[in-house]
Amino acid sequence: MKNLIKPFQELKSTSRGTIMLGWLIAILTFWTLNMFGTSHMFPTPTQVIHGFGDLWAEGLVVHIVSSIALCAHAVFLSVIISLVIAYSTAIPIMKPVGTFISKLRYLPLTGIAFYLAIIINDARSLQVWVLVVFMTTFLTTSLIQMIQDIPKEELDHAKTLGCNRWEILWEVVIKGRLDYVLELVRQNLAIVWMMLVTVESILAAAGGMGFLIKNSDKLGDNGRVIALQIIIVVVGLSLDFIITKLRKLIFRYSNY
Amino acid sequence: MSYRELDTILYVDKISVGYEGKTILKDVSIIEKNIVRDGHDSTGQTIAVLGRSGRGKSTLFKALTGLVKPMSGQILISDMATEVADDAKILAEGDVGFVDQKYTLFRHKTVYQICQYALRKSKTTKQEKDKLITEFLTEWGLLEHKNKYSCELSGGQRQRTAIIEQMLSSKHFMILDEPFSGLDVGNIEKVKTSFQKILDADEYNTIIFSTHDIRLAAELADSIYIIGNPEGTTEYSTVLKHYDLKKMGLAWTPYGEGHRKVVADIKEILLKS
Repeated sequence: MKNLIKPFQELKSTSRGTIMLGWLIAILTFWTLNMFGTSHMFPTPTQVIHGFGDLWAEGLVVHIVSSIALCAHAVFLSVIISLVIAYSTAIPIMKPVGTFISKLRYLPLTGIAFYLAIIINDARSLQVWVLVVFMTTFLTTSLIQMIQDIPKEELDHAKTLGCNRWEILWEVVIKGRLDYVLELVRQNLAIVWMMLVTVESILAAAGGMGFLIKNSDKLGDNGRVIALQIIIVVVGLSLDFIITKLRKLIFRYSNY
Repeated sequence: MSYRELDTILYVDKISVGYEGKTILKDVSIIEKNIVRDGHDSTGQTIAVLGRSGRGKSTLFKALTGLVKPMSGQILISDMATEVADDAKILAEGDVGFVDQKYTLFRHKTVYQICQYALRKSKTTKQEKDKLITEFLTEWGLLEHKNKYSCELSGGQRQRTAIIEQMLSSKHFMILDEPFSGLDVGNIEKVKTSFQKILDADEYNTIIFSTHDIRLAAELADSIYIIGNPEGTTEYSTVLKHYDLKKMGLAWTPYGEGHRKVVADIKEILLKS
């Protein structure tokens, strides 16, 4: 028992399982206790189950597909733009561009959405580009850091093989770090996923999980809101899991 | 043992090396010649660089591999591309192979792909390249690991892959930064065998290595350079002493009394440096 509160203590898998089970019971107990009394912080499990049922009847799958399609579109564009900017930072004259883009991640969403709304008329494109701008600033930051973290020994190794500077960029930075790119996309995907609710509210006609959650909120249906939150987290974590598996499958040497 | 010194293969003329205005090495000179021994097809040259930590061995290696340009002086190596004897050229990046302490390799290439890449500039046909790679991998005990990535290799396999990568890249000069560091007695013997294979492959092949094991340096090298701070200063390092074990009659002979005296002498110099 003492081991459970000892820092850096290695535990058996059964002990780890017991800890997880304990936390699950604690959450469920907290949730159940919340049902008593006059004011409720969370809806009851029954309300949430009903919420799932209602959402299913309203075509939940179509909305999930719509959200994933929007996310995929934005991620694809963002990855292309971020890679070009990040790789170009290896060229001294282009380095300030990457640094500048990276700093833009401190800009507020409303300001960016406002300017994008002026230049983009189509609502669906606006949704995509708001996500692209946001993800690009964060992904570019991570990619630049990835390039800076390449050990000097790897660059020197390529030089001793007679590689010119462009070959080093191609072999060590681009080809040699493709698995890292996939990993960084996975990490930054959470940003796009988090922004989805806000961005999907721009265009209700396009649907999506963001639209559903906003609609449920308006109706004051807490059961549906929590059910949707659970769905959003599960779908997000599933994408996360798939990308990790994909990285290990495609890049056998990617053993981190 | 009788030997002859032929053309100069490495000529380091009073180089000073430093970073951002700070001098690390000053007035370092090294001259090494191609050695031929009677009754031996290929002798090769083995040069050890000894020095205490932080005395500029790595900086010297960076200069000798062309990764850092000397602030003054020059480094010339024999130009193997011409037929003219004693033809020399100024050292450029890629002329000298380098195997660092971590045995750095391309992480995204298999052993076979690493060898193919090392041969990318060779004008031979694909069949000839494949044959050569297979010969090397067989000779160095790596054939069964040819489809493995560097992260799937043991330390010894990585080191051997790094060595043959540099050899295939047509390098006669190879620098190994502390190749014996952290190795057990069995692996030290394997590295010694690797040294011999490199030297046997071509008479121009030259190994330059650093080590903190003075005995091992005396046993393997035919030329030893001691790098350290000269008396009275800690500002920079230079060559404090050069032992030509060939002239001393100690090269290519079993470790004995003569070697022991050299080791004791070197130890004293290092402690003062």
